[in-house]
Amino acid sequence: MKVAYFAESPADQAALTIFTEAILGAKTELVSHHGLRHRGWPTVRTVLRAVLLELHYHTDAEGFVLVVDSNGSPPHLPGHEEPLKAERKCRLCQLRQIAEEVRRQVRPRPVGIPLKVALGLAVPTIEAWLLCGEVPHVTEAAWINGLKEGQMPYTKASLKQKLYGTSHPSLSIETDAMKAAASRLSQNLSNIEQLFSYGFGALLKSLRSW
Amino acid sequence: MIEWVEFQNFKALRKATLPLSRFTLIVGANGSGKSTALKAVWSLHHHDQLNWHKLRTAGIRSVDKVLLRAKWREEGNDFIVAVQWRHDEVSRRSVDPLDSNRLRNPDPAQSALSRARIFSLDADAVARPVHLQPQMELQRSGADLAGVLDRLRDQNPERFEALNQELMRWIPEFDRILFETPNQGQRSIALRTREGRHSIPASDLSQGTLIALALLTIAYLPEPPSIVCLEEPDHGLHPRLLREVRDALYRLAYPEGAHEKREPVQVIATTHNPYFLDLFREHPEEIVIAEKAGLEAKFSRLSDRADLEEILGDAPLSEVWYSGVLGGVPAGT
Repeated sequence: MKVAYFAESPADQAALTIFTEAILGAKTELVSHHGLRHRGWPTVRTVLRAVLLELHYHTDAEGFVLVVDSNGSPPHLPGHEEPLKAERKCRLCQLRQIAEEVRRQVRPRPVGIPLKVALGLAVPTIEAWLLCGEVPHVTEAAWINGLKEGQMPYTKASLKQKLYGTSHPSLSIETDAMKAAASRLSQNLSNIEQLFSYGFGALLKSLRSW
Repeated sequence: MIEWVEFQNFKALRKATLPLSRFTLIVGANGSGKSTALKAVWSLHHHDQLNWHKLRTAGIRSVDKVLLRAKWREEGNDFIVAVQWRHDEVSRRSVDPLDSNRLRNPDPAQSALSRARIFSLDADAVARPVHLQPQMELQRSGADLAGVLDRLRDQNPERFEALNQELMRWIPEFDRILFETPNQGQRSIALRTREGRHSIPASDLSQGTLIALALLTIAYLPEPPSIVCLEEPDHGLHPRLLREVRDALYRLAYPEGAHEKREPVQVIATTHNPYFLDLFREHPEEIVIAEKAGLEAKFSRLSDRADLEEILGDAPLSEVWYSGVLGGVPAGT
């Protein structure tokens, strides 16, 4: 299957590829392109439409995968899935809305097959997903609870320090650590599915529907 | 490490204090004192190469002195380094312990300051062939690069290999640094293309490629300068390469983060590049805003702004900087 990953760095892309292939149960082929990159929120929201149109009309991509960090924004909750209940400040809901608008507006693809889209929300960052099972208190529920109580259980910086062993990791250190963690989690996805059921769960559900 | 530098009548810096970290990125309008700050760090040791007339703030009286003070911080060994230039007098420097009641050793501070270097890389200079000398050091413009790489290959082949590997990651169309001998006793460099294995002489390489090669060389030196001041290291490079540039500078400043076993280098860089600035969003303590007010300039550490996170919210740091909210933008634009 030909998949386009829209990631912030080659390290993120490597981790996403491992997750995607584990969920699909098959190897993916990277769409021949210059490598899609975004610069985090909010620029990813601004350019998503252009990226989807490019993939739709000018490539033979069968799938598109994008995961963004929630950082301090509201996490995605089950209530957002109900009709007309998308949350305005939820990044996943915003991305879904853009993807849906593009889907409704486009003409049929030259390659004939539709472009399948899978979106996820890492709460608060992808490092939290990758520490799942390694650090017991790093969970989606802990972060959501922290947001409610105004006292966060950990910081983005502490997650990075824990995963990379340094506050200033190089890209190659990031890539190695992310690949190793994603590979570990992919051996048994039920753990991350359970502990990050909303943001990772959304990605999982979309990919399984492909 | 230099913790701060105080300026008095030093060019555009009539009265200012520059806070520094292991890594510091200075952003600000043209003429806001960024380059002057780098020159000041260098002149803490090389003060005798400058004089009052060259350094003074415009309009000061001949009885006014030009003064630099810097705090050198080292575990249990803090010093104040002061340099003053007076009209028609030779410069004077003092290195005094912060706590005069305790015995201190000024040698580490003196040694580090003597090994401070400023780089303002110029592609033409980087590409130029060199006359080989027993000791070769990269010049301010990047000149003598071929000689420095030649020594690195001979004396630290593992580092030279690692540099080649990193270069391949940065610029995948090339896979190796080659050396040529244009005349006896000379060296020049070329890069080998991955496809076809053609040798492209330095004079035919793009500006960005040459700047990237010089930056990588600084990052992979076995004994880099103890303080590296870099004018716009992002100059001429594609935005997607800026993460690699940041990594190279962090390699110097935070060697443990790159599995390097050597002393950290204090790095001070300047930039006007919004994409480069965004790469430091998670480390506002590393960003200093240079603010120009009339003929004077001031510095402030971004993390010292109490409302920073509230102001930034979801917005890219670069956009907020560009808006003028954080200062460090040209007046009247």
